Amino acid sequence: MDIQHIRNFSIIAHIDHGKSTLADRMLELTGTITAREAKDQILDSMDIERERGITIKASGVTMEYEYAGEGYMLNLIDTPGHVDFHYEVSRALTACEGALLVVDASQGIQAQTLANAYLATEAGAEILGVINKVDLAAAQPDLVAEEIEHVLGIRKNECFRISAKTGMGVRELLDAVCELLPPPADRSEEPLRALIYDSHYDDYRGVICYVRVVSGSLKPRQKIRLMRLGSTYQITELGKFRPDMRPVEQLGTGEVGYVIANIRNLGDVRIGDTITDDARPAPDPLKGYQPPMQMVFSDFYPGNNTEYPRLRAAFERLALNDASFSFVPQNSQALGFGFRCGFLGLLHMEIIQERLERENDIDVVQTAPTVSYEVLMSDGTVQRIDSPSELPDRTKVEEIREPFVRLEIITTTDTIGGVMTLAESRRCKLVKTDYLNPTRVMLDYKAPLAEIVYDFYDQIKGISHGYATMNYEFTGFEAGDLVKIDILVNHTPVEALSLIVHRSNAEARGRKLIIKLRRAIPRHQFEIPLQVAIGGKIIARETIKAYRKDVTAKLYGGDITRKMKVLKKQKEGKKRMKSVGSVEIPQEAFMSILDTSD
Amino acid sequence: MVGDCALTVEPAGLYVHVPFCRSKCRYCGFYSVPTAGWDGTGVPSRISPRLGAPPNAMHRVWEPYTGRLVAAMLRELDRYEGVQFRTAYVGGGSPTALPPEQLLGLARRIAERLEQVEEFTVECNPGQVDAELLADLRRAGVNRLSFGAQSFRAAELELLGRRHTVEEIGRAVELARRAGFDNVGLDLIFAIPDSTLADWQYSVEAAIGLDVQHISAYSLSFEPGTVFDVWRRNGRLAPVDEELDRAMYEWVIDRLGQVGLPQYEISNFARPGFGCRHNLGYWANRPYVGIGPGAASYWQGDRVTHDSNMEWYMAAVESGQKIPGAVERLGWEDRICETAVLSLRTRAGIDLAAFEHKTGCDLLRTFAATIRRYCDLGLMEITGCAVRLTEQALPIADSILCDFAALE
Ligand SMILES: Nc1nc2c(ncn2[C@@H]2O[C@H](COP(=O)(O)OP(=O)(O)O)[C@@H](O)[C@H]2O)c(=O)[nH]1
Ligand code: SF4
Repeated sequence: MDIQHIRNFSIIAHIDHGKSTLADRMLELTGTITAREAKDQILDSMDIERERGITIKASGVTMEYEYAGEGYMLNLIDTPGHVDFHYEVSRALTACEGALLVVDASQGIQAQTLANAYLATEAGAEILGVINKVDLAAAQPDLVAEEIEHVLGIRKNECFRISAKTGMGVRELLDAVCELLPPPADRSEEPLRALIYDSHYDDYRGVICYVRVVSGSLKPRQKIRLMRLGSTYQITELGKFRPDMRPVEQLGTGEVGYVIANIRNLGDVRIGDTITDDARPAPDPLKGYQPPMQMVFSDFYPGNNTEYPRLRAAFERLALNDASFSFVPQNSQALGFGFRCGFLGLLHMEIIQERLERENDIDVVQTAPTVSYEVLMSDGTVQRIDSPSELPDRTKVEEIREPFVRLEIITTTDTIGGVMTLAESRRCKLVKTDYLNPTRVMLDYKAPLAEIVYDFYDQIKGISHGYATMNYEFTGFEAGDLVKIDILVNHTPVEALSLIVHRSNAEARGRKLIIKLRRAIPRHQFEIPLQVAIGGKIIARETIKAYRKDVTAKLYGGDITRKMKVLKKQKEGKKRMKSVGSVEIPQEAFMSILDTSD
Repeated sequence: MVGDCALTVEPAGLYVHVPFCRSKCRYCGFYSVPTAGWDGTGVPSRISPRLGAPPNAMHRVWEPYTGRLVAAMLRELDRYEGVQFRTAYVGGGSPTALPPEQLLGLARRIAERLEQVEEFTVECNPGQVDAELLADLRRAGVNRLSFGAQSFRAAELELLGRRHTVEEIGRAVELARRAGFDNVGLDLIFAIPDSTLADWQYSVEAAIGLDVQHISAYSLSFEPGTVFDVWRRNGRLAPVDEELDRAMYEWVIDRLGQVGLPQYEISNFARPGFGCRHNLGYWANRPYVGIGPGAASYWQGDRVTHDSNMEWYMAAVESGQKIPGAVERLGWEDRICETAVLSLRTRAGIDLAAFEHKTGCDLLRTFAATIRRYCDLGLMEITGCAVRLTEQALPIADSILCDFAALE
C-alpha cells in the first residue's frame, strides 16, 4: 500500500462519551469484524480487559476501507482501557497523524475533553470534532457545537454529528478520515525507525511490541536493535492486528503492527523506545514520547513478607506497558521491605493499584500518596525528595518547594459557589473564569498539587452532584512555608505516617490525622498514645484506650469449634495489619493521612 | 493413623446433654427445650419463662417423650462399647428437669461405664432437687454436684429468668452435703445489667458462706437468639460498663484466692485438688464423647457436633443411623493451635513437656515471636516448665489467645 493511502488516527474522548462504541462501529463498517463479533466484544468487555489476548487491547487495529474508488489502510490506534489518561493518550498520539475528538451531545465538553484536545494539538495531530449520541432525546448538538467552537476553536459547522450506537454518520466520518486527515510522511528511504507505543507480555512468546514504523521498514528475521539499551534481537514474527494477530511479510513506513523477537527480559523494552536496524542503524532515536513527570508517590508493601518476589514480578509486568510508572525497592522500619512507586497522578495510581489486585491477587499495604518536593539546601544545592521521610535535617534546609498545577474544573453555574469555597480552602488561586454557556463554567486555578492529590476530586464531585470534571497539569515548583509533621505511635515515630504540609494548617491537619488514626487503629492490650510533633515539639495527643475486657467466659467441650473459628478470624484480621513495635496498624490508617475531610 | 491411636489411649471424658429445662432463662444460649406450658404433643414451641404449670403436674405430660430421649441417649452410648471413660458430666439443659426415675436410670447406666471413676458430676437446678433424689444420685455413683446458683440477689434472679429462689440455693447445698456429697460447686454470673460491684460482692460472699468446694464465675454474655440479646438490641437492657465488668472480675479472683478457692481457669475457682477434672480434660485438649442432641465430641481426631434437633437425633439413633451434625477433621496445625489456646485458659498454662508429647512440636519454637512479644508486654510468663498468661492478661485473654489460633 502506498503511503498516500495510509491513515493513522486515534479516538480521544472523555470516559463514556462513546469511544469504544464508535471504534466497534468502524470495525464493523470496514468489515474488520462482523456485527456479531462486535456485539460479543461489547458484552464481554469486562472479561476481555482482564485477559491479555489481542482483541482486547486492540491497541492498533488495521482496517481496509474504500473511499472515492480507492482502497485505504486505516490504522485506528486506540488507547487501552482507561481513556482519560492523558499520558496514555499522548502515547497513542505520537503514532498518529490525526485524532477524532468525541464529545457526548448530551454532556458537552468535559475537563478531560479539553486536556485531550490540548495533547492532540501539542502532538501536531489534525483534529476532527465529533459530536456523538445525537440520537439521544437529551442531545443538544447545537449547544455542544457552540462550546467546541468557543473553547477549542473548531468551527461549529465542521463538527461531525453522529450516533455511534445506531451507526448514523459513521460512514461519513470514515470518509472524512480519508479525505481530511494527512497521510504519514514518506521516509521509506531512510534507515529504520519504529516507535514502540505499547507492549504486552506473552508467556510463550515473550514481549510483544506494538510499533509504528516512522521510517524505513521491518521484515521478518531482520536483526533489530532497541536504541535505548543497544540490545539486539532477531525478529521472529511481524504482523498486524485485524484485530487478532495476523503475520505479515513487511511493515513499511507509516504502518502500524506488532513485532515479536523473542525478548524475554521485561526490563529491556520501554514504551517510547525506538527500534532500528542493527546493520544500518539510524543516527538518532525518535523523540519517542516524553513520559510526563511523576508527581505522586506511594509505598507498596506486601501484606505478607514472603510475597515480596511476587510483588516485584507484578510491578515489572505493570511497568512493561506503562513507561510512566516506576518502582524502587524501599525498606521501612515500620513496614519492612516493599517498593516506592511513582505515578503521574492520582488516577494513574488508582489504575495501577487496581491492575495489581485484579491481575495478580496480591495483598498489599499501601501508604497514602504524597507528592514530590524540591528542597533548597543551605549550600545552594537543590534536592528532589518524594517522601516526607527523605526531608533532610531542618538546619540544612533553606526552603522547601512544592509542585503547583494548572487546575481546570468544569462545573455548573449553580454549584460554582461550593466548588470555589472548597478550592480556596485548599490554597487554590483562581486565575480565570470562563462561561462555556449560560449554565456551565470553566474555572482555571493555580493549585498546590498536594492539596488536590487525595480526595479533592471526590469532594467536588459531591458538591456538584457528580457533575463537575477536573483536570490538572504540572506547571512548576514554588517555595512555600512548609513543615513536616511527625506522628508518634506509642512513642515511636512512624515515617510512613509523616506529612509535609503548609504551616497555616499544620496543627489542624495533625489533629485531624490522629483522630482518624485513633478510629482506624484497633484497641490493643495496652494504651497507645498518638502524638503529633512538628520539629520535635509535641502539638497534639490522642489516646487509644486499652482493651479492658475481652475474654470468653465459658469454654467447654461444645464451645471449642465455634470459639476457635472466632479466634482464627480475629487473628487473620491482625495479619492484614502491619506491626510497628507492638502496635498493629491496619492499612486504612496509612491511607487516612491525606484524607482531609472531617 | 498413629496420631489417632495416641489420642484414644488418653483418658477420655463422657458428656451427656439433657436438652430440657423447665423454662428458658433469659440469657441462656444453650440448646434446651422448655417443658413448662408444653402439651407433650410435639416439639415444644418457644414460650415465656413465666408460663407453665407446677413442675410435678407437668411431669406426667412429657414423661413419655423425655423417656424416649433418655433411651435414645443410652443407645448412643452403646455405640462406644469398650471405651473406658474416667470422668462423666451430665449437663444441659437441666438434668433435674427429667422425671427422677429417668435421671437415676441414666446415672446408673453411665456409672457402669466408669470402672475407674475419677469424677461423675450432675448439674442441678437448686429449685429442682430434694433429699431423696440427691441420696439416690449419690448411691448411683455420682460424686460431684454443680448447682446453677447464678446470683444471691432476688432481683437479679428475677431479671435472669431463673425459677429458683435465693433460699433454695442454700437449701440445695445443705441437702447435697447431707446426701454425702463432699464435692459441690456453684455457678455465679456477674456483670448482670444494672448490678453494682456491691451486688456482686454480696453474691460471692454468700457463695463463700456455703462452704462449697468449687465456684464458677461467668461474666454475662449476650448470646444470639436469647431474650437478653433482643432486649439489648432494642435498648431495654444495657451491658454493664467494661470497667465495671473488669473490676468485678478482678475482685472475685482476689477474693476467692483469699478464702482458699484459688482460680485455676479463666472462670473457675476451687479448693486445691477440687478443680473439675472433666473440664480440665477439655482444656488439656483430651478426647471426649458427647451424647445427646446438640452435644459435641472430640473423638479420634474429629470434632463432631450433633445437630440441635431432638427429633432428628432420636430418629437417627433409633434406626441405627449416623446422627446428623457437623464433622470437622482436625489437621496437625489445628491440634497444635487448639491445644495451645485451650491450655492457656488454665492458670497452670501450657506444660511444655505435655505439649510436646501431644503435638510433637516445641511450643517455644512454634510460637517464638508471639510468646516473646507477650512476655515483653508482661502478659505472659514462662514459669519453669510452663507458659501461662499473667494475672494482668486474664481479663483480655481472647485478644492474646487469638494469636495462638493459627501458626505464626
Ligand atoms: N444513545 C447512544 N448511546 C451511546 C452512543 N455511543 C455510545 N453510547 C453509550 O454510551 C455508553 C458509553 O459508551 P462507550 O463506548 O463504552 O464509551 P467510552 O468510555 O468512551 O469507551 C455506553 O452505554 C454506550 O452504549 C450513541 O451514539 N448513542
Ligand atoms: S436452666 Fe440452665 S440450661 Fe436451662 S435455660 Fe436456664 S441457664 Fe439455660
